[in-house]
Amino acid sequence: MTPIIEMRDIVKVYPNGVVANDGVNFSVEKGEIHALVGENGAGKTTLMKILYGLERPTEGEINYKDRLLELNSPLDAIDNGIGMVHQNFMLIPSFTVAENIVLGEEKTRSGLIRQDQAVQDTESLAKEYGLRVDANAIIESINVGMRQRVEILKTLYRGAEILILDEPTAVLTPQETQELFKAIRALVDQGKTVIFITHKLREVKEISDRVTVMRAGKIVGTLKIEEVTREGLARMMVGRDVLLSVDKPPSDRGQAVLQVHDLSYVSDTGVQMLKNMSFNVYAGEILGIAGVEGNGQTELVEVLTGLREASTGAAYIDSRDILQADPRVVRMAGVAHIPEDRLTNGLALLATIDENLIVDRYFRAPIKKGFRIDQGAVKKLGNRLIEEYDIRTINGQVPVSSLSGGNMQKVIVAREFSSDPKLLIAAQPTRGIDVGATEFVRQELVVKRTEGTAVLLVSADLSEVMSLSDRIIVMYEGEITGVFPDASTVTEEELGLYMLGVQRQDVEEMEAVL
Amino acid sequence: MKKVLQSSAMRELLRVLIAITVALTLGFIITVLVSDDPIGAYKSFLFGPLTKLNRFGDWIEESITLIFLGLAVALVFKAELFSLGQEGQMVLGALAAGAVALFVPLPGYLRIPLAIMAAMVVGFLWGLIPGYLKAYLDANEIVSTLMLNVIALKIYEWLLTYSIKPPDAGYTASATFTAEGTMPTFFPPIPFLGELRTLFMQQTNISIALYLMIIATVVVYYLMYHTPFGYELRMVGANIKFARYGGINTKRTIVLAMAVSGILAGLAGAHVAGGIHRKLILNITFGLGFEGIIVAILARNNPLLIPFTGLAYGYLRAGADVMERTSDMSREMVLVIQAVIILLVTAERIMPMIQKRIRTNRAQRNGDPPADAEVIPAKGGD
Repeated sequence: MTPIIEMRDIVKVYPNGVVANDGVNFSVEKGEIHALVGENGAGKTTLMKILYGLERPTEGEINYKDRLLELNSPLDAIDNGIGMVHQNFMLIPSFTVAENIVLGEEKTRSGLIRQDQAVQDTESLAKEYGLRVDANAIIESINVGMRQRVEILKTLYRGAEILILDEPTAVLTPQETQELFKAIRALVDQGKTVIFITHKLREVKEISDRVTVMRAGKIVGTLKIEEVTREGLARMMVGRDVLLSVDKPPSDRGQAVLQVHDLSYVSDTGVQMLKNMSFNVYAGEILGIAGVEGNGQTELVEVLTGLREASTGAAYIDSRDILQADPRVVRMAGVAHIPEDRLTNGLALLATIDENLIVDRYFRAPIKKGFRIDQGAVKKLGNRLIEEYDIRTINGQVPVSSLSGGNMQKVIVAREFSSDPKLLIAAQPTRGIDVGATEFVRQELVVKRTEGTAVLLVSADLSEVMSLSDRIIVMYEGEITGVFPDASTVTEEELGLYMLGVQRQDVEEMEAVL
Repeated sequence: MKKVLQSSAMRELLRVLIAITVALTLGFIITVLVSDDPIGAYKSFLFGPLTKLNRFGDWIEESITLIFLGLAVALVFKAELFSLGQEGQMVLGALAAGAVALFVPLPGYLRIPLAIMAAMVVGFLWGLIPGYLKAYLDANEIVSTLMLNVIALKIYEWLLTYSIKPPDAGYTASATFTAEGTMPTFFPPIPFLGELRTLFMQQTNISIALYLMIIATVVVYYLMYHTPFGYELRMVGANIKFARYGGINTKRTIVLAMAVSGILAGLAGAHVAGGIHRKLILNITFGLGFEGIIVAILARNNPLLIPFTGLAYGYLRAGADVMERTSDMSREMVLVIQAVIILLVTAERIMPMIQKRIRTNRAQRNGDPPADAEVIPAKGGD
């Protein structure tokens, strides 16, 4: 079969000297689902940006339908039938689905937009490809899965024949993922071609026809899906053997470290985000919180760590109520926190690694000596943590912004783990970081738990919650809808039903195991 | 990596030099258009401050004020607080120092330190106000400091006119300070200078404020980079959410940053009152209150660079002054030339900031940038 797209000898050097693509040859056949995998910084997004006209290659050429393709901007790519659905949706929240889909290509009558036509077009397009959307709904009011379908329809409306999907499942529940896969298959049946960027190896196996693995700006190989195993793919991505499943010794559960009673939180806008939550986290266990993002997990973590004020309720560390305390007090009580949004909360990007590592301890010995900060001690701590947590950097005096995503996360992990916490709250600890760093963070979490730390794990990645947790709580609309005292006996589908609010356990049933 | 740094430092230096060259050329073109003796006029602008000892003295004195103000600005800017309150703090600092110098019957060795202390305390207190407003009421510090400047200025003028001015004085000013209230001139006895030292002490007003300035520079640097307070200040500036997450009391840090900055502006006030004018006059700040911003921006808020940028900027102002006095150039044109130069040189400073902002925005729009880019979005799977 002849490829529909052939990218030849692509080299991309960024102005700052970073070689993102180094002689890449990448080809896609018509009508296939082609997965593109690799660690963060492997160059897969850069490669796709080149194909979508967002970046110009330093060297190399793109052949498309047997002719040379010159892309100066995404508009050229769209004109040629290449569409891209970005990781962060690019929709206008206050517009309707139909308005977003026709945006920029509106059909007009005497200078006015024909709303009815937009709705009609949207509906027929949605029907044609089996992508269920409500054409008149406002984007703000629809869930993530539908927003993604809107994005896909947007590219189809512009005549895309090749769709590039950048980590489309990162924000979806298992059910939504399945629905997306169904839609992708339908697209391919209609003659479209799909390039699928992902980190999740299981999905690669499930959906794609062929897979291309990238590492450090180069192609490691392109394989038929029958020829690969998940372990093999991971090895190709990282360049060494990777433990995909976490080796977890049995839990040795101790005293309750965190006791949450009847916790509620009403947001500034008057929305009740948390409703009467009660649960304990015990020493030596990982309590996982599963749930579709936006069901109160963020608020729960921020309330517990002192970043938001709870409305009612109590949360005790040992016997001390930390609920209305400020973050310093919470930290001094023995709570460490890996924040969900590492760039907003977890790090000061322009400050150095060393400076980022001391934010929870600059005010006490050994960092503080007399009335000054002992730079020697800071350096020593920095060097020790950089070594211990394998942060890839020349030294601790460079800004955190110079690190890759995975290494940034290691800076946070190093700081939070080394504070020797009683309770560790980890929110999305492996989001957006590569396989190697993910493996590291997960192992460290288990090590801490086995050493006797109480761990509260919040993650949108169900397989992560399931493989790491000892017990699982499901949150739906700010409430606990299910408790599973033995995480190893739960299935993804079962959790999914609770996550979507289809099922919920009785209060009595839950209280027994909370 | 080192090579890259060196080359980028070289590029940087080159850019500054080009900016200055372009600015000076533009200034010269303006001079040619306006003056009958452009070369003479421009020469007085370029070399004026070095031609006479008293001009040299004027340059250094004004630079000292600029450096105090630059340090004040750097402190707040480092915390990403855009306080413009230096003018008001300086005026009240001058008032406090002047009041002590005029009315406290103590010998000089006590009165002068007391005057300086008073200026520092008043600057601190006047800085506390916008700090509190910002931290606890979320009042925009730009607006609040500008308003407080007006209040400070009017308090100063009112007290000067109705309480401090001697009843028989012909114009609005205090009595001249006695020696007990004046910052003494002092030049270190360097062996080879001999005669020159006496000349310096007689013909310039360079006082002990020079040494105060040097101490202040070192203290501010030390405070910023070697103390917990400085760390808090820098983290609040780098990412206030991170600071809060890490347990830093961000409100206290904001209040203190504004107040400590006020100490330095207060010192600038003590210097103009007790070191330069030796009395309290109307418009005592001479509009310098806002010039600290330029000094700080040129130094990238680095305290150790501020003496240099302060001297450079002071030289420019002193040169313009000499040109105005010795040539046929009008004050207006002199100010235009000065503004053009500042514009070009700071544009050189500001351009990279804008470029960086555009790059970051673009990177955020496009999903993940290359591994080493400024910002890497957090969204993503697995």
